[in-house]
Amino acid sequence: MFNQFGSTAETLSKASAAVLRIGTDAHLYDDPEDVNIAPLLDSKFESEKCEALKRLLALIAQGFDVSNFFPQVVKNVASQSSEVKKLVYLYLLHYAEKRPNEALLSINYFQKDLGDPNPLVRAWALRTMAGIRLHVIAPLALAAVGKCARDPAVYVRKCAANALPKLHDLRLEEHAPAIEELVGILLNDHSPGVVGAAAAAFTSICPNNFSLIGKNYKKLCQILPDVEEWGQILLIGTLLRYVVARHGLVRESLMLSLHGLESNGFYEKDGLVGDKKDGDKSDSFDANLVSLVSKCYIEGPDEYLSRSNGVDTVAASFDSKETTSVGDNEDVKILLQCTSPLLWSNNSAVVLAAAGVQWIVAPLEDVKKIVKPLLFLLRSSTASKYVVLCNILVFAKAVPSLFAPHFEDFFICSSDAYQVKAHKLEMLSLIATTSSISSILREFEDYIKDPDRRFAADTVAAIGLCAKRLPEIPTACLNGLLALVRQESFAGDLELVDGEAGVLVQAVMSIQTIIERDPLSHEKVIIQLFRSLDSVKVAAARATIIWMVGVYCSLGHIIPRMLTTITKYLAWSFKSEASETKLQILNTAAKVLISAEVEDFQMLKKIVLYVLELGECDLNYDVRDRTRFLKKMLSYKLACHEPTEDSVASQENIAEHVVEHVFGRKLKPFSPLNLHNRFYLPGSLSQVVLHAAPGYEPLPKPCSFVVEEHDQLSDSGRQREAMSGLNGSQESSETVDEDGSSEYDSESYNGSDFSSDGDERNDANDAADPLIRFSDIAVSTDQEEPRSKRALDLCASYNNVPTLIPMEELSCLEPGQSAKRLIQVRFHHHLLPMRLSLHYNGKNVPVKLRPDLGYLVKPFSITIEEFLSTESRLPGMFEYTRRCTFTDHIKDTRMENGKDKFLTICESITLKVLSNSNLHLVSVDLPVASTLEDATGLRLRFSSKILSSEIPLLITITVQGKCNEDLNLTVKINCEETVFGLNLLNRIANFMVETSSSAS
Amino acid sequence: MLQCIFLLSDSGEVMLEKQLTGHRVDRSICAWFWDQADSFKSLPVIASPTHYLFQIVRDGITFLACTQVEMPPLMAIEFLCRVADVLSDYLGGLNEDLVKDNFIIVYELLDEMIDNGFPLTTEPNILREMIAPPNLVSKMLSVVTGNASNVSDTLPSGAGSCVPWRPTDPKYSSNEVYVDLVEEMDAIVNRDGELVKCEIYGEVQMSSQLTGFPDLTLSFANPSVLEDMRFHPCVRFRPWESHQVLSFVPPDGQFKLMSYRVKKLKNTPLYVKPQITSDSGTCRVSVLVGIRSDPGKTIESITLSFQLPHCVSSADLSSNHGTVTILSNKTCTWTIGRIPSDKTPCLSGTLALETGLERLHVYPTFKVGFKIMGIALSGLRIEKLDLKTIPPRLYKGFRAQTRAGEFDVRL
Repeated sequence: MFNQFGSTAETLSKASAAVLRIGTDAHLYDDPEDVNIAPLLDSKFESEKCEALKRLLALIAQGFDVSNFFPQVVKNVASQSSEVKKLVYLYLLHYAEKRPNEALLSINYFQKDLGDPNPLVRAWALRTMAGIRLHVIAPLALAAVGKCARDPAVYVRKCAANALPKLHDLRLEEHAPAIEELVGILLNDHSPGVVGAAAAAFTSICPNNFSLIGKNYKKLCQILPDVEEWGQILLIGTLLRYVVARHGLVRESLMLSLHGLESNGFYEKDGLVGDKKDGDKSDSFDANLVSLVSKCYIEGPDEYLSRSNGVDTVAASFDSKETTSVGDNEDVKILLQCTSPLLWSNNSAVVLAAAGVQWIVAPLEDVKKIVKPLLFLLRSSTASKYVVLCNILVFAKAVPSLFAPHFEDFFICSSDAYQVKAHKLEMLSLIATTSSISSILREFEDYIKDPDRRFAADTVAAIGLCAKRLPEIPTACLNGLLALVRQESFAGDLELVDGEAGVLVQAVMSIQTIIERDPLSHEKVIIQLFRSLDSVKVAAARATIIWMVGVYCSLGHIIPRMLTTITKYLAWSFKSEASETKLQILNTAAKVLISAEVEDFQMLKKIVLYVLELGECDLNYDVRDRTRFLKKMLSYKLACHEPTEDSVASQENIAEHVVEHVFGRKLKPFSPLNLHNRFYLPGSLSQVVLHAAPGYEPLPKPCSFVVEEHDQLSDSGRQREAMSGLNGSQESSETVDEDGSSEYDSESYNGSDFSSDGDERNDANDAADPLIRFSDIAVSTDQEEPRSKRALDLCASYNNVPTLIPMEELSCLEPGQSAKRLIQVRFHHHLLPMRLSLHYNGKNVPVKLRPDLGYLVKPFSITIEEFLSTESRLPGMFEYTRRCTFTDHIKDTRMENGKDKFLTICESITLKVLSNSNLHLVSVDLPVASTLEDATGLRLRFSSKILSSEIPLLITITVQGKCNEDLNLTVKINCEETVFGLNLLNRIANFMVETSSSAS
Repeated sequence: MLQCIFLLSDSGEVMLEKQLTGHRVDRSICAWFWDQADSFKSLPVIASPTHYLFQIVRDGITFLACTQVEMPPLMAIEFLCRVADVLSDYLGGLNEDLVKDNFIIVYELLDEMIDNGFPLTTEPNILREMIAPPNLVSKMLSVVTGNASNVSDTLPSGAGSCVPWRPTDPKYSSNEVYVDLVEEMDAIVNRDGELVKCEIYGEVQMSSQLTGFPDLTLSFANPSVLEDMRFHPCVRFRPWESHQVLSFVPPDGQFKLMSYRVKKLKNTPLYVKPQITSDSGTCRVSVLVGIRSDPGKTIESITLSFQLPHCVSSADLSSNHGTVTILSNKTCTWTIGRIPSDKTPCLSGTLALETGLERLHVYPTFKVGFKIMGIALSGLRIEKLDLKTIPPRLYKGFRAQTRAGEFDVRL
């Protein structure tokens, strides 16, 4: 009837929608392919190019692969229109990795754009160039980033900082030092915006290179409030890690509170505990848990695993040297000062990060200032609310008293998501105190009537938890719970309402947890529960009650007298029960029989026999199995007539013991704390998902970062360490500070000077004016001009485990004289040198000794078949080759004597290899060549294992060339430990090239 | 850092994907996500077999971000919220059509807002200068000429300054600055009719159109009532710590200067008295709403909404004032408007329970909505707003309003 109106309305609405969509890109999204895109891309009009690109983006958005347009799109990178450029960049970044060859075409344009006077164009070009992820252009991109890092425009510098992780992501070992250097430069920038981005780059590139932070620490702290919020989040974490690594944990902080309590009478002045003394004892913090938490923050996965396997050693034992205090440590003080205003930040991630710092570092009495800001975060979006609650829960577990006065903030509103409600309930049950419990219970009563029954069930469970924590209140709880059981069971047909069963089961379980604490005083409750068996219909709830019959069957005076009746009832209802309940009935029957009194024994025996008979013909396997098992076990009991009758046979005695053990055992009190919990740093992803996410790093080991006396020296030294390779070529010093210390550098280390006798030997005599020489463990001076008095003191320190080994002092060392001191060194890592510092005449010269890589492996004897199969399992990224020339064999006199040339070559190569490294010769393949002069195809295989990790390492040397000329060797290494493999490869290539005199 | 951002429509369709790093995330992850059970899917942080997912849902659109490595989850969530804010600001709302129609703008915005998984430019003021929001003029222009670029050629001047939220040197002929106190009242009334919790969540919203580089100071008459607060990045911490004075260089245009909380209020302006009796399969409901303590201004747009329990099969509700609507998902809304002077609004009627149920054992929670213009119920008062250099023709204005936030009355 009103059809025409309807249609009008419809067209009207359509029309209005169409009007709204005019001028948008709607049609492009709806039908991106309704025109031929290719010719548009080649059009000479910018607008048509633009449309084509938009269509391509629409296709990308919808998940189609349009990489076939790549060549045409790349051409447009030269466009002058900013919009076309932007769209091309969007497209390029999406597909560059798929089409590397075509992507290379665009590089020239980026290079050109990088010189553009417009900072926006420069920034775009840099972002795209770094983002297309091609190994080939990485050096170019790195150079570009280096240039842009010194750009006058802040925005460009910021983009440069963001580009660094992109380059680092390509895993180019040789560029790592340069990238870290750039991070250092950008961290030192005066603009807060750049520092924020640099902090992000730092976190993803070199989170443990604390020397970069150390240089700028104070400045970074001061600039922190002005840094952009996103940078703040990461910078806060970085500063915290630096402080822990540099100074260790803070003595007054919560993390060491346990330690503090024991050692220096900290208890008295501890405001937190003192304040709450008037209230109730449960308020003070859980010292065990706190120390567990602090341990978790620091320990890595290995330590965690060893802890959970072995005996629990919760008591954290921090060396007092590894701690510091707020009072006398300026760095800690500044960190606390600069992070505390950030608790007012508008960004909840910043607030949480700042709270994390206060939590870990702040003195105990100051920790409570994180409470209100954290609670305020609960008024933000649902998603952040959830994450914040996950973190607050950990804080509250460790120190319930922090949040106890604010219990009202955890009251639940109807609009909360289920997960948020569940977390809030857990919070409430954690922080309830005797003063607040009445209000909390009143709230709980409301929640039980909530239409969301899953939530109601959780509430009932929370009541149980509260009652367990606060022994004073169970009576009130119990009555409520019992009423609930009664009401729920009478509420009608439970099948109708889903979730109702859950509430009932939880109620019974909660009652059980309360009773468990003190069964004797709750005898009446137990009896009431038994009475309600008839009305409780839910199998799981029934099973729990029946289980309680068995457990408490000998409790008090009344229950034993009821047993016969209850057992009779159970036997009667057995047939109609669910199998879950049947199993419990069987168990209970057994327990009842064992603890039966004399007068009831005959009766009970009859009933139990009846139940067992029923059970034997049950439909369910488990029930039948359980019945047979019980029948066998109870056979001695069922056979005798009196419960106390002494069985003579020893075998029956054993049976009795077993039965006693299985069924007669008293309940063990529940351990309140699961010590195998693992905690993660506050604010981390791992804390929310409750497992260590890839890339999760605990706090660094306290005081693991030691600043050497020569600050700059240590910096340059560190950069040097980061460079892989032991070939010792004197790379130009790339220190950030121009006032570098090159003379120390060159002195500190010269890796190429290995002597060939195979001992760890490193000479430091490369400097123009060598002063003191170390050879092995020997210290000698070969100084020309005599010096009268010299004192020599040698200290060694590892990079990570700083230990100062005092050496005996040499009172005097004449020119030409040498003295010997022995240190045994076990190198943790092949790249980490041993640091020695040499004191003489009041001067201090650091020296580094590096191990010869060839001796960080051990021979690994395997057959050629095993070798080949292992090799085939290590292809691709685990395989490295390098070429070098070999000349030793030419000088070999035997060559002329007409000996087998191949054998001679083999011998000299093997000699060279084995005298320089610790390998096992697996096989030699002789060439099948037409002439005896051509050694091409000669192949030697060596195998070894890395000392530290036992990872196999395979080396294959293939020879090419004429016997009498220089040979070209191809050295190939297959090893899972790629860094080590690469370094060893370089080392081998180096010593193969050297002509040794010993061969003659 | 984030690896990929997906925008999903309310039917689970992937509307847009933006890969952020070289580690590409296949969009099949969205299908996996969408197929999860509801209780799992609604978690803000999900560990999928291959990735960690962060999600927020805004107006039916799911913003999904993926990562494979450790990163602060709140950072991801806050960033997604910021993206949603910016998008809805640009597009004038958020829904499937708006996102699809303006997908180019969404792409361009995302590209500016995040670089290699780390937020780049999130300040709305600067974004607006880099990428022009769609407006009628640009739309018409694109219809007529077929081309209108919304990408700016030049870098916004604010992007590099030390006050990144403010464009350098905007010029206005008339200088205006308005301060709004917008408060929301959160309250819980339990089943005994007792006020369990009553607090105010408030925001100081500002709208400033000031020439040059103004330095403002805002002080409150009674800052002590404030329990907690959070500030816009422009607020300097020192003056607040020492004198509880807000000193700042404001962004241009609308912004939220601070948010605060005032706890332990004694009274709500409205009372809601629900009563329910159930017997033999039917329930009688009556709800009375009235003014408890007169705030001195009219209370407007009063609404009451509640979810009928699942076990209610049909409902017959009527009121003596306002309108009652019951939606098919059993949500019942009673729109009252203003309280009439002559009578007390009352909702009454019966609920029929499903067969087999005698009595109601779960009870709904009433959510109350209201709005009061011209008053801040927390009692917070602005004392004065000072400018360091007073520009010519300056208009200052103050307003206040209070509305209901999480106002729950349990039955």
